[in-house]
Amino acid sequence: MGKVVGIDLGTTNSLVAYVRDDTPVVIRDASGDGLVPSVVSLDEQGTVFVGREAQRRLLTATGRTVYSVKRFMGRGIEDVRDDAEFLRFRVAGEAGGVVRITLGDRELTPPEISAFVLKELKHRAEEHFREQGEFDFEVDRAVITVPAYFNDAQRTATRDAGRLAGIEVLRIINEPTAASLAYGLDKRNRGTIAVYDLGGGTFDISILRVEDGVFQVLATNGDTHLGGDDIDRVLTELVLAEHAGTSTAGAGQPTLPAEALQAMRKAVIQAKWDLSEHERAEIVVEPAAGLPSGARRPITRQEFETLIRPIVDRTLGPVRAALADANLTPEDIDEVVLVGGSTRVPLVRRSVEELFHRTPHSELNPDEVVALGAAVQADILVSGRREMLLLDVTPLSLGIETMGGVVSKIIMRNSTVPASGRDAFTTGVDNQTAVEIHVLQGERELAADCRSLGRFRLRGIPPMPAGLPRVEVRFQIDANGILTVSARELRTGIEQQIEVKPSYGLTDEEVERMLIESFEHAEADFEARLLIDARNESEAVIAATEKSLRRPDFTALVGADLEPGELERIQAAVSAAKEAMRGDDRDAIHRRTHELNDVTRHLAEVMMNRGVREALAGKNISEIETVGSAAPPHVAGTVPGKR
Amino acid sequence: MTPDPIPVRHVPSVECRNCGAGAPVDEHFCPSCSRILALGRHGDYFAFLGLTRQLVIDQGDLDRRFRELSRQFHPDYYYNASPAERLASLERSSYLNDAYRALRNPVGRIEHLLAIEGLPPARSEEGTAKVPPALLESVFALNEELDEIRELRESGADPGQLRRRLDAARLPIEKRRTEHEAQLRDLSAQWDAGRDTSPDERKRILEALRERLLERNYITNLLASVDRETAGLGLGPGPDSSEAQSQTPRVESHG
Repeated sequence: MGKVVGIDLGTTNSLVAYVRDDTPVVIRDASGDGLVPSVVSLDEQGTVFVGREAQRRLLTATGRTVYSVKRFMGRGIEDVRDDAEFLRFRVAGEAGGVVRITLGDRELTPPEISAFVLKELKHRAEEHFREQGEFDFEVDRAVITVPAYFNDAQRTATRDAGRLAGIEVLRIINEPTAASLAYGLDKRNRGTIAVYDLGGGTFDISILRVEDGVFQVLATNGDTHLGGDDIDRVLTELVLAEHAGTSTAGAGQPTLPAEALQAMRKAVIQAKWDLSEHERAEIVVEPAAGLPSGARRPITRQEFETLIRPIVDRTLGPVRAALADANLTPEDIDEVVLVGGSTRVPLVRRSVEELFHRTPHSELNPDEVVALGAAVQADILVSGRREMLLLDVTPLSLGIETMGGVVSKIIMRNSTVPASGRDAFTTGVDNQTAVEIHVLQGERELAADCRSLGRFRLRGIPPMPAGLPRVEVRFQIDANGILTVSARELRTGIEQQIEVKPSYGLTDEEVERMLIESFEHAEADFEARLLIDARNESEAVIAATEKSLRRPDFTALVGADLEPGELERIQAAVSAAKEAMRGDDRDAIHRRTHELNDVTRHLAEVMMNRGVREALAGKNISEIETVGSAAPPHVAGTVPGKR
Repeated sequence: MTPDPIPVRHVPSVECRNCGAGAPVDEHFCPSCSRILALGRHGDYFAFLGLTRQLVIDQGDLDRRFRELSRQFHPDYYYNASPAERLASLERSSYLNDAYRALRNPVGRIEHLLAIEGLPPARSEEGTAKVPPALLESVFALNEELDEIRELRESGADPGQLRRRLDAARLPIEKRRTEHEAQLRDLSAQWDAGRDTSPDERKRILEALRERLLERNYITNLLASVDRETAGLGLGPGPDSSEAQSQTPRVESHG
């Protein structure tokens, strides 16, 4: 038996964690970075790149690189057209079938693309265990998290991705619930908790009651199409609109190459981060194909908040619905936990605080807390420890289509899983020998408005007058929230062997075939990986340096302490490091990174001293970032012990 | 476990698939080999949770039993067990969750009691189609009022005024609902106290409970129709509409 890990397979970033000496820890790369960007890129030779390297290729190999693929999991082509158009992905697939995304000359399904991300995490974890001197370092099992509001097709697609990556998926658990496990809130006592999880592409709210170590989810709600991506989109559209206004002067639709759009996206994300810490920032778009001089656009936090308020307000509806389902009011909530990178946005925090009249928990890094919880759950499953138990719910009602296109619900939303339900139906026509059972998920009355999960036929019903047969349909949801359906005719006792054809999923045969095909994909070899590691480290140092230089109060803060020419030397070192990054010479990249580190050491000391002084003067120390350390600005250094 | 004075359906025991020993149907683990037992033919949520058929219960006690049994059955703890035990754990956990969902609210408890005491379900077609005799008069009055309001709305009457009329029409029905809840509480207490009374008397209580439930469902539908009219005025949600929504009878499990 190999190692067991917990994986947060996110829209923007993914992480892997495990339990070491009773404490969950995130596995990091050499530069201390725990996040693996959920970006996948294929080069002309068929080599696969995942993570930071793939993210860099977004700017240079745009048509061969894909991100935010989680938005496409378990969905049909008709659901994703809008997204695909904005993200500039080329998608294919028949109506009512699984979507395929074009990457260079290949077409891949979302589970296949996610499997590349999972393989990268598996690889990262195995490297870590090998370095720890473990004899058995293979990672063969994992708990993977999904948004609580994911439907059955999306959960199944996630499980398929795990299989394709060669990982046995021990359990699919919900992200907000995982986060509550990581916080170890059971240790504190008993109480009612709200977990507000705004990630890159999804929003979840879960209401839990914790008592005697049992985490019982009372209600959950959310939106699987709401998150940081939407904030980026609003900002990109702002820049795009103004760019069009000046350069094409209203001459029809401006069409920028995908490379320019990616450069814009990168710039607005940076500005979004800056605005979480400062009152004003600037969107700085680097020159790219179709945008030779780049673009600059100053933006204040106030303007930013006006732009994104509609997005933040969209989270409040699901929050109220979840409270109503749990029969609670905001005053009944004892603790609020924030999860997901988008909860760093001050407007989001303020909105949550105003709603619950509570200061939310954010002690744990909101990017990491879900992976930590997944690791805890993985440990519970394999160790047999019983201090904690998760009791989760199914987010959406499940039922079948009956006469007139009406849905007959068999399991109601917010039922604790595992759950079962059954109902009896009959025929509508004399001598009918088969019934078609159409399985649906959703809250609406009409089948056409609900998500189709699959169809199957129960055959072999003996000919009888209409209304006489009694067909019992039985639903069983397992602890993963995944449904199985069986049906039998009660008068004859005939139970048909049924096979559900998933509407938006892969059949077992398809998964098997993909597993075989996947061996033909080459992964980046050892040398290539060393080069990627060097680039990652260099990028982290450049990012930290540029972050300091971009501070609006930079001159006021350190201007007086800098030596003549020091700033110019730093800027030159940044340019040199960037230049080296564009090449393939690993030693050159290393050299330039070390030079940049050396040349910024004095600046780091100055800022650090300032920080200490300001802290003593009652100022906020978190506003002082370190330069020269390799930690990227959004990664916390350590994770507090849980037990 | 307290012996149940009411005759249970004839289901004497289940067989342990591990050691072959017999076990009483309400046992969860084999008395001989202590493995988890497959879920036998069960139908009594009260007995499954180790409760007698009482309608007034201690909510905290029910929650505690649910958590304790969850800790014994949950599939998380059978990950490395045999396939038979894993199936048993899945079935028992599902059944426990269904039982808890049904018993944790008073109406769910009454519905389940009626079912295991052999009465037809109170949520059948007749619950919505046929007006319960006791409600005939108020239903008649309400429908007349709603028709009139509809006409006035179509002829362009002031929505604010119509809203006040709708709110007024709501009041007597809400009062009926409050009365009903008191009656259900009273009958529930009678049932709990009536362990030693005659079978006829117990039957009478059950029939009365069922009547009240049918009426209650009808009242809920009436309130919903007032809410629909209120929403039709386009003035935003009525003062009680969210409350009414959360009080629509929850569909319980099909146990």
